[in-house]
Order: sequence, then structure tokens, then C-alpha cells
Amino acid sequence: MDYFEPKTVSEALSLLDQHGDQAEVIAGGTDVMVDIKYSDEPGCLVNIKRIPDLNAIRESNGGVHIGPLATIHELEESDLVRERLPLLWQAAHQFASLQIRNTATIGGNICRASPSGETLAPLLVLEAQAEVTFSDGARTEPFGAFFQGPGQTSLGSRGLLTGISVPFPAAGSHAVYLKHAVRGPMDIAMVGVAVMATANGDKTALDDVRIGLGAVAPTPVRAPKTEALVSGKALDAALVKEAGASAASESSPITDQRSSGEYRGWIVDALTRRGLEQCWQALTGKEVA
Amino acid sequence: MGLEIKLTVNGNTHTAELEPSTALVDFLRDTLGYKGVKLCCNTGECGACTIIMDGKPVNSCVVLGADAAGADLVTVEGIADGDELHPVQQAFIDTGAVQCGYCTPGFIVSLKALLDRTKSPTAEDVEEAISGNICRCTGYTKIFDAVDLAAKRMS
Ligand SMILES: Cc1cc2nc3c(=O)[nH]c(=O)nc-3n(C[C@H](O)[C@H](O)[C@H](O)COP(=O)(O)OP(=O)(O)OC[C@H]3O[C@@H](n4cnc5c(N)ncnc54)[C@H](O)[C@@H]3O)c2cc1C
Ligand code: FES
Ligand code: FES
Repeated sequence: MDYFEPKTVSEALSLLDQHGDQAEVIAGGTDVMVDIKYSDEPGCLVNIKRIPDLNAIRESNGGVHIGPLATIHELEESDLVRERLPLLWQAAHQFASLQIRNTATIGGNICRASPSGETLAPLLVLEAQAEVTFSDGARTEPFGAFFQGPGQTSLGSRGLLTGISVPFPAAGSHAVYLKHAVRGPMDIAMVGVAVMATANGDKTALDDVRIGLGAVAPTPVRAPKTEALVSGKALDAALVKEAGASAASESSPITDQRSSGEYRGWIVDALTRRGLEQCWQALTGKEVA
Repeated sequence: MGLEIKLTVNGNTHTAELEPSTALVDFLRDTLGYKGVKLCCNTGECGACTIIMDGKPVNSCVVLGADAAGADLVTVEGIADGDELHPVQQAFIDTGAVQCGYCTPGFIVSLKALLDRTKSPTAEDVEEAISGNICRCTGYTKIFDAVDLAAKRMS
């Protein structure tokens, strides 16, 4: 196996161009090391961890710029993330063990493009943008376009994720990330649901409701019909029930070793209801009637 | 293709060759001889291979060996002070937190890292610190007792 430690993004990109499908990028390695041991070893490993400045977490243009090499624990430790992007913070906090969080990067989580990746549904809900770089230039695109299927992204085999920009959520918004897994944070999510909303001026209705679903479709997805169903309305028990069922119908879960598809549907329903209720309570100070 | 790296383990500088696909746990055990680093699940799930890398606990089975170039590592072999055991080690003995002992080096290293961060950890801090360490023998209660005892003795 060939091995490279490029010192710049452009050096890494030319290696990817040169080695094509044979090359595998490695960042933290928590996914790639397991693949190397238990699946096929790649023809060539491009270790991007020695590229400087790719792990910054800083305020930029009305939001937060996150470098792909920022570890999950660095996100969790960042005051900027905790205070301004609580949804992403909650996902980082519920991510595996401390040992894994110290190693795993957000870029690796994103580029793995596993539908259950903890940070993905939150990034969709936060309407974050991916900065993708190829040897002939860089562009930004919404994560909705970036994720193309399980393990498939718009990077193909020649692109690098070089940044993540997350706009600050609207002032006064509230968000929750709910993860369902057998062994709590240690386990890969069976279902992950991210809900974010604001309240209208007199706190009688929810506005701009956003719902992201993880592990229940080939990519993480938003639930646009459910969002439209509840946005602009006062939340009552009947609407909560309708929204849960609607979110479940917008998911297309598969059956695998972690759970049956049917069970996942019930969990989407339950977590969506719980997420909406928690947002309503936090935003209006009232229980759902 | 062999790769030569230089690193520090428990204060000792080593220069050694490794295959680039080697996991850090294998490099530490088989090349450098730090057998206190245990290999169990080999997939990052159990914590037996926990070491401290540049101040942070990590699972050495899912870290690329090459990433240790220039790093400062601490394994369970490096935390005693000469003949005097680290308070966490001594407390494991005194509370009976060791049964088969296979998970013990990983727990000790995770808990040493915790006590380096916080002098008097809450039960929640302890739970978080060892959430990635699995013990199939003790039922964990004695391990919690051991941290309490170690924290008390260290303060
Ligand atoms: C025990 C254990 C528990 C886990 N628990 C969770 C969990 O709770 N939630 C969760 O979401 N995940 C979990 N994971 C999965 C894994 O830790 C995450 O997906 C992690 O974020 C991957 O990041 P990494 O830096 O380790 O990626 P790597 O393994 O280095 O890379 C992952 C993939 O991304 C590509 N890549 C990385 N960076 C870039 C880049 N900048 N540009 C282009 N491609 C890139 C690599 O080529 C590879 O295909 C767990 C893994 C283990 C071993
Ligand atoms: S052997 Fe590394 S975590 Fe189990
Ligand atoms: S003492 Fe046997 S696994 Fe922990």
C-alpha cells in the first residue's frame, strides 16, 4: 500500500487525481481503520491530518466555519458551537465514547455519508453548506445536494471536503437532537431526529419548523411535508400526533441488524412528536394542550 | 514500504519503522513492546487499547500508527512513579476493581486522564470518562469506588 501525508490541499488533490479509485482519504481513521482491518486495504492511503488549518472552528459571515479535521470532541468543547449551534453540539455530545470523539472528525463523519452519521441530520436542519474542492476549483453546495446515497457524495473519488459553513440559527430558535440506540451514545443510531423551530411574535404558533431524519433513508433527509404541516400553527395534541405519523411516512427505513424498518418508522413517529413538544415547551413556556 | 517515525512513549523517545497501514495498538505492542496496551475488539468499541495521546484518551486500535509521529503517548506502563503505583492503580487493588484484569489497563488510563482533567469528578463525569470502556466481570460498581478513593487520596 502506498502512503502519503500531503502538507497542502492542492498536494492532496493531485494525489487523488493521480491515484483515482485506488486512493482513500484518511482523517481520524475511526471508519477507515476498521475497513483496512476487515475489508480490503486501499491501494493508497492519503492522510490529510498533517494539512495545517483544516481544524479551525471560528465565527465567519454570520455563522460558524468548521474545518473538516475538527474532532467531534473539539466541537463539543467549543463555546461557539455550544452557544450558537446547540443542535450540532447535542449531536456531538451523543456521539460514541470520549475516546472515539477525540479521534473522529466531523469531515470524516460527513464524507462517510452513512445515513446514521450523527452530525448529518443536524447539518441539514441548520442549512449548512459544504465547501468541496477539486483540483480545478472549489464550490459550496447545500448538504441536501452533497449526500447522494449511502457512502456516496458529490466528492466522488477526487474531491476533498475543505470546510463546513453553518449559518447561525434565527435568534430565539430552539432545537433538539434525539438519538435512539440500544447502548445510548456508544451505539450507532437506529434513528436520529433533529427538530428546530422558532415561535411567532406572541408565542402562539411555531414558525420555520425544520425536521431532519437520520438512519431512515438512503441519505439523511428533511421531512418537508411535516415541516409545512406544523409551521405557522399552534401545537396541540392532535397536531403532534398527525406530525409524528407524517414524518414516519416521509421516511423510508430499511431493515438491518440494528432494527426492522417497521420499528424505525415507529421511532421516527415518537421522536418527531417528542422533538416538537420539547420545542413548543421551550419556545412558549406551555405544555402541549 | 516501511515508514520511519519518531515518537515519545511514557517519556522515552523511540524511532522505529512501521507499515503504513498498521494500527497504533499493533505498533505499540509488537514493535515497541508495550504489552500493557490490550487488544480486544479491534474496532474501537471496548476501550481495552486506550492510551493517552497528546493529553487525550483514544482507542489505539482505530488510530493509524503513522499518526503517532511526533506525538507524546502515555500507556498504563507509564503512569506509576517508580515503585509507587498511580493512585488509580492502587485504588483498583484496594477496592477490588480488578477481576480477570483484561479491561483494567484501559480503565486505568481513561480514569487517569479524567483525574488529570478534574480533581473531584462527579458520578456523571466518571460515567462519561469510561463510557467507552467495557468490563464483563466487575459490574462497574467497584470501578466507581476506585475512582472515588483515588480522587480522595489525590486531593
Ligand atoms: C466504536 C465506534 C463508535 C462510533 N459511533 C458513532 C456514532 O455514535 N455516531 C456516528 O455518527 N458515527 C460513529 N462512528 C463512526 C465514525 O466514528 C464517524 O463516522 C467519524 O466521524 C468518522 O470520522 P474519521 O475522521 O474517523 O473518518 P475516517 O475514518 O478518517 O474517514 C471516513 C470517510 O471519510 C473520508 N474522508 C474523511 N475526511 C475527508 C475529507 N475532508 N474529504 C474527503 N473525504 C474525507 C474517508 O475517505 C472515509 O471514506 C463510530 C465508530 C466507531 C469505531
Ligand atoms: S481493542 Fe481497541 S477499543 Fe477494543
Ligand atoms: S475485570 Fe474482567 S473484563 Fe473487566
